Amino acid sequence: MANVDRDSRHLISKEDHEINPGSMNIQFDSSDLRSKRPFYIEPTNIVNVNDVIQRVSDHASAMNKRIHYYSRLTTPADKALVAPDHVVPTPGECYVYSPLGSAYKLQSYSEGHGKNNSLVTIFMIWNTMMGTSILSIPWGIKQAGFTTGMGVIVLMGLLTLYCCYRVVKSRTMICSLDTTSWEYPDVCRHYFGHFGQWSSLLFSLVSLIGAMIVYWVLMSNFLFNTGKFIFNFIHHINDTDSIPRTNNSNPVICPNAGSGGHPDNSSLIFFTNDTEVEQFAKWWNKSKTVPFYLIGLLLPLLNFKSPSFFSKFNILGTVSVLYLIFFVTLKAIRLGFHLEFHWLTPTEFFVPELRFQFPQLTGVLTLAFFIHNCIITLLKTNKNQENNVRDLCIAYMLVTITYLYIGFLVFASFPSPPLSKDCIEQNFLDNFPSSDILSFIGRIFLLFQMMTVYPLLGYLARVQLLGHVFGDIYPSIFHVLILNIIIVGAGVLMACFYPNIGGIIRYSGAACGLAFVFIYPSLIYIISLYQEERLTWPKLIFHMFIIILGLANLIVQFFM
Amino acid sequence: MEESDSEKKMEKENLGPRMEPPLGEPEGSLGWVLPNTAMKKKVLLMGKSGSGKTSMRSIIFANYIARDTRRLGATIDVEHSHVRFLGNLVLNLWDCGGQDTFMENYFTSQRDNIFRNVEVLIYVFDVESRELEKDMHYYQSCLEAILQNSPDAKIFCLVHKMDLVQEDQRDLIFKEREEDLRRLSRPLECSCFRTSIWDETLYKAWSSIVYQLIPNVQQLEMNLRNFAEIIEADEVLLFERATFLVISHYQCKEQRDAHRFEKISNIIKQFKLSCSKLAASFQSMEVRNSNFAAFIDIFTSNTYVMVVMSDPSILLTFNLECYVLK
Repeated sequence: MANVDRDSRHLISKEDHEINPGSMNIQFDSSDLRSKRPFYIEPTNIVNVNDVIQRVSDHASAMNKRIHYYSRLTTPADKALVAPDHVVPTPGECYVYSPLGSAYKLQSYSEGHGKNNSLVTIFMIWNTMMGTSILSIPWGIKQAGFTTGMGVIVLMGLLTLYCCYRVVKSRTMICSLDTTSWEYPDVCRHYFGHFGQWSSLLFSLVSLIGAMIVYWVLMSNFLFNTGKFIFNFIHHINDTDSIPRTNNSNPVICPNAGSGGHPDNSSLIFFTNDTEVEQFAKWWNKSKTVPFYLIGLLLPLLNFKSPSFFSKFNILGTVSVLYLIFFVTLKAIRLGFHLEFHWLTPTEFFVPELRFQFPQLTGVLTLAFFIHNCIITLLKTNKNQENNVRDLCIAYMLVTITYLYIGFLVFASFPSPPLSKDCIEQNFLDNFPSSDILSFIGRIFLLFQMMTVYPLLGYLARVQLLGHVFGDIYPSIFHVLILNIIIVGAGVLMACFYPNIGGIIRYSGAACGLAFVFIYPSLIYIISLYQEERLTWPKLIFHMFIIILGLANLIVQFFM
Repeated sequence: MEESDSEKKMEKENLGPRMEPPLGEPEGSLGWVLPNTAMKKKVLLMGKSGSGKTSMRSIIFANYIARDTRRLGATIDVEHSHVRFLGNLVLNLWDCGGQDTFMENYFTSQRDNIFRNVEVLIYVFDVESRELEKDMHYYQSCLEAILQNSPDAKIFCLVHKMDLVQEDQRDLIFKEREEDLRRLSRPLECSCFRTSIWDETLYKAWSSIVYQLIPNVQQLEMNLRNFAEIIEADEVLLFERATFLVISHYQCKEQRDAHRFEKISNIIKQFKLSCSKLAASFQSMEVRNSNFAAFIDIFTSNTYVMVVMSDPSILLTFNLECYVLK
């Protein structure tokens, strides 16, 4: 090192460098430790080297700092150094979804709370939760018995509402960190570390893939019936097959009579020698061919990078539900009520009021009342945040009433003297023949609605799985294609061999509800109370009881 | 060598129209091995009106932009701020070309004054400009003036506002412009950079410019390396004092963030702006946590040094003995 003595000087010279040290002078004399005050660094600038998933990329962090700095160089009125649109990265798309309900893109509000009034928020919650689980509620009531069924619906509504309330409150109980942008999986990660993150991802995927399988089965079903209706309509065929049915102008059929196991899918038994019809029956089969036709339609749609096109069709979901309500009311008016109360013994036409298969209903309801994964985001859009709990309760009440209404009407108006209540199908539209115009319209609505929600659900599954495993939501076309083929393959398999949507819903509902509805909210509440030392025995027992209920809900599904 | 009291002068914006560039106050220069001249050496920042010079200067030198840069006309007010860097270089900003006759006359009459004693010419081209011919014409007339008055000046061309070009075309367009400019600049040599204020290219270009202006930079780098190895630091950076442009650095292990130089510079410049509101000037900074400790302090009269160490057991105070190199 070149050593020039006469020019050496101490770096931190003792002389005063400031021109006019005023009373607010900040001296950075390093020997005076008390004058050093730590400065707060925004979290965006801190990158933990142990983070598997980086919260902010280097590029984004640098841009953030740049924009901060430039904003200090001009007055706020000056537009000279404002970041133009092509430079600031677009915010990620934020989707709100319930697995069996609807999914749509949400406006992200930068101020932290949104601009929707209470009515809109309540409607949004109702709309998101309402979906294809409606179709299985009457079957669930039938499995549980009428009185038990009604009671279970109300009780499950209350239970899931309480757990939803716990989910919403869980975020606010974390005082040490800034949680304004957190969703429920982030809360789980805060309490349970990586295990919490990965398990919440797993259960969320279970619910999504379960829902997608249900959708595939239903879409095959509706497509089959629609095709059959159109074919019969064009060829003026009156399908007088040997399925038991009511003999009046409002036909209701019992597709499963006589066959104790799988529903009869290739159901066209004709007494004619019409080869054209036979060809049609061969090529248009509910479980052998139609599920495969859907592949060509839906697999390409799953590979799109951004499904924002599909989220525009969200209105179809609401229309379908409203149509179903109208349809059920009309049928009930025409068919009349057929209710008899036999408490414990089954009769030829009726089921007992108390049945031991009621857990099947609770499994279905767990997914029917499921919104815990995105309720935080939904409630953030509420203008008056203090009304969040009230609005949530009202929304749950409306959902419960809707389920009760449809379940009650379908069950009660099912024509029991000729047909047994046991005939109620897992998808209640199956109880109406494919020649029925009203149910044809309903099937078409639902078919279109499901076709637009299916790519959205696929996108959400892809984002969650690939985003967490590979860090990139679109690593390459091959990853995405393989994932989509697996999902579609599962759907096709189920449609071919096990098209019982009630079964699929209750298994996946109980499994994913175990984590999000029962265990995590209660456990997190217990832990946070314990950390604040406010845990009392009644609260502990009550929440442990909820956790045990959730476990029992799942275990019992396998024994029914 | 006497030391000019550069600490006493804070960067001041020019407050009104001045028709004459300040003739050189006899001052000694310092720090770098520049000859003791009577007049200050200039850095000319030139380019068409609206090409982004004022914003660029404001960003690099942490100056407040005193007026709205979306002007209706050309710069009537000739920019003579006393922004100085690298010791005694004064930055002069000129709008070049295409204005009304007043500016034309002024420009031509003052041409010799403007182009005398120029150390560096930085010419800014707007990549979106529709008048390529005219731009080149003005550029060439500036080069002629340089050739006459300051033939030893270094020429740098910045192709600015590259963020407005689509990403996949940027390299192509820049290569084209670079070839044109090199061809036009002969016999003078020019270095070209592509820049945008919305990514790190502006910072890198100015860092390269500053790097080329320092006469003994290789020796500095050697000494920096020795210094770093002796104290076993993770990384040592040398910044220019006024602009916090990284002149050179030494790192002993891979650092993950490639944008860290610009980020540090922006953070410190922002901090300097805050300090100046309290009539205080930035002198040094120490940042530490359980993983590392970083020290930023004055190194020579024209540079700052930043030392990053990840050994948590170092001393609390950090006094840098520094030897000014000849």
